[in-house]
Amino acid sequence: MKKLLLATTLILPMAPAASAEGTLNIYAWADSLSPDLIAKFSEETGIDVNVDSFSSNEDALTKLQAGASGYDLVTPSQHFVKIMADEGLLMDIDASELDAYAQLDERWKGQWWDPENDYSIPLAYGTAGYTVNRDKYDGPVDSWKAIFEPTDLAGSIALLSYPDEVVSAAQLYLGIEFCTEDKAEMKKVYDLLKAQKSSVAAYTSDNIENRIGSGEVAAHFWWDGNSLRLRNDDANIEFAMPKEGLVGWLDSFVVPAGAENVDNAKAFIDFMSTVENATVQYNYYAHSAPVAIDESKALYTTENAPELFPEVPVVFAQACSPAAQDLVTKVWTDLLQ
Amino acid sequence: MSKAFRFWGLAPAWALMILTLIVPILIVAGVSVAERGAYGGFDWAFDLTSYRQILFTEGWTDALEFDPKYLWIIARTMLYALTTTVICVALALPVSYFIAQQSARVKIILIYLVTLPFWVSMIVRVYAWLIILGNDGILERVYRLFGGADVSGFLFTSGAMITGMVYSYIPLMVLPVYASVEKIDPALIEASHDLYGSRWVTLRRVILPLTAPGLMAGSILVFVPCLGTVLEPMLLGGGKQLMMGTLIQTQFGGARNWPFGAAIAMVLLAFVVLVLLINARRMPRQSEIGL
Repeated sequence: MKKLLLATTLILPMAPAASAEGTLNIYAWADSLSPDLIAKFSEETGIDVNVDSFSSNEDALTKLQAGASGYDLVTPSQHFVKIMADEGLLMDIDASELDAYAQLDERWKGQWWDPENDYSIPLAYGTAGYTVNRDKYDGPVDSWKAIFEPTDLAGSIALLSYPDEVVSAAQLYLGIEFCTEDKAEMKKVYDLLKAQKSSVAAYTSDNIENRIGSGEVAAHFWWDGNSLRLRNDDANIEFAMPKEGLVGWLDSFVVPAGAENVDNAKAFIDFMSTVENATVQYNYYAHSAPVAIDESKALYTTENAPELFPEVPVVFAQACSPAAQDLVTKVWTDLLQ
Repeated sequence: MSKAFRFWGLAPAWALMILTLIVPILIVAGVSVAERGAYGGFDWAFDLTSYRQILFTEGWTDALEFDPKYLWIIARTMLYALTTTVICVALALPVSYFIAQQSARVKIILIYLVTLPFWVSMIVRVYAWLIILGNDGILERVYRLFGGADVSGFLFTSGAMITGMVYSYIPLMVLPVYASVEKIDPALIEASHDLYGSRWVTLRRVILPLTAPGLMAGSILVFVPCLGTVLEPMLLGGGKQLMMGTLIQTQFGGARNWPFGAAIAMVLLAFVVLVLLINARRMPRQSEIGL
């Protein structure tokens, strides 16, 4: 937070001078972009950068669907890239022509969410799982059972406020396929979450650091890199490695249809993907980098950051059909009715 | 005043009302009968599915069945809004009375203090309660200081939520009630005592009827925003039970069902109009008794 404030104060005085070169409006996950890099980008190009943040893919999708969002660059996860592209909400920027594309690891090219590499350049990837506070809980964390069918953790669990990744995790635990349209299978997910509800303190996606770091709750549904960053801030926490698997995600830069500063957006994507800057971003964000980085300067390695190198299966979230999505919504609404 | 002026002079006000109030409501009404898009959004059509969904949904079998879950959410929202309003009345009445008793100078300072929280962002004010009610928070420490047992778990309960709502909206109750209380002629209270009216009788027969307009106005100002509240249920209630505000939010977000969200918003609007209508019917009666 201090770093963020510092960076903001650095940007502010530059803003008026820079505005002549145009602006770039970014809508990204909260605290996901290195403020140092944004300041550096403004300095080098004279482009005035504004960053707004979201805390769920659904928020980003809704904002784009409402039209005229005013954003030039958004960073949704893979399944939402697919939905946004299918809905015609994204601009074809010929991503494969960008310099950034050449930096990209082969495994992220030509994937199902963007088979022709038209729309997106990945920014970071990682997993969704859960984190426990070791001052509050000393039990095993090798399975989703610890939070979905809790014994020691009762009353001290927090999940996210949206079903997206929580339902996926429950499906991993129960061995049910993501995006199933089978009602009987989804009823099992509902029964699991319903039985768990009395042990859940809150369903919330904001301010997770404080809640798990301070021990307000003993276990929190969370992401790998965020957990790593908090642990490095001396919190006694551990990111669980459930044997059933973790929910994978990959956030990408996309340009919404109708964006005004497309060239600036492309320049920013290229800027963020150079080896030097991608390393700075990696060290700041603490989520894995899908582009080449300078390993000698990387802060997080297999030794000191087990969070980023899971040995359990990682299953990437899918873009569900509307029928499957309705079942997910039904589970959630019935759960919170 | 010429006829033309009467029309054109009011035109800006009408334009503002129509553009910023009537048109958006018509759009919401339009969306509520539209067809939902597969991934959110909507297509213009006339389709009452969303309104049917409030009462009937497909259960875990494929049959369409009567499902009162949304009615429960509506009822719960009304109950919490009503509870908040009643607590606000109970707190605002003595506070207003106390303020009205002070000297002119002190009055101004106290009224200023009541409105002070409005200068701070709503989110910040609600977050403050996270610190007060949280684990090892101020409330728990004070409780322990006075020898209380090791308690926890004030946060993420409906009590925490109502506390937050009362705190957020009580200035809206205090101000109109104070305006009424201040106007009460002390001679009337004296007269009541002279006529052997006990304190209770004086309160019930003299003070309460005289403050009724302020109480009514305050109750509406508190009750109506409580119906649509989102922050308190999410942050203080822990998001464990949907309220109308959070339900609408879910429909536009995760559920990607905009028409249904709009339909719930129309139901919410209908309740608000209902409350205002009931109030409008009461008003003439109050003026009949000389208020």
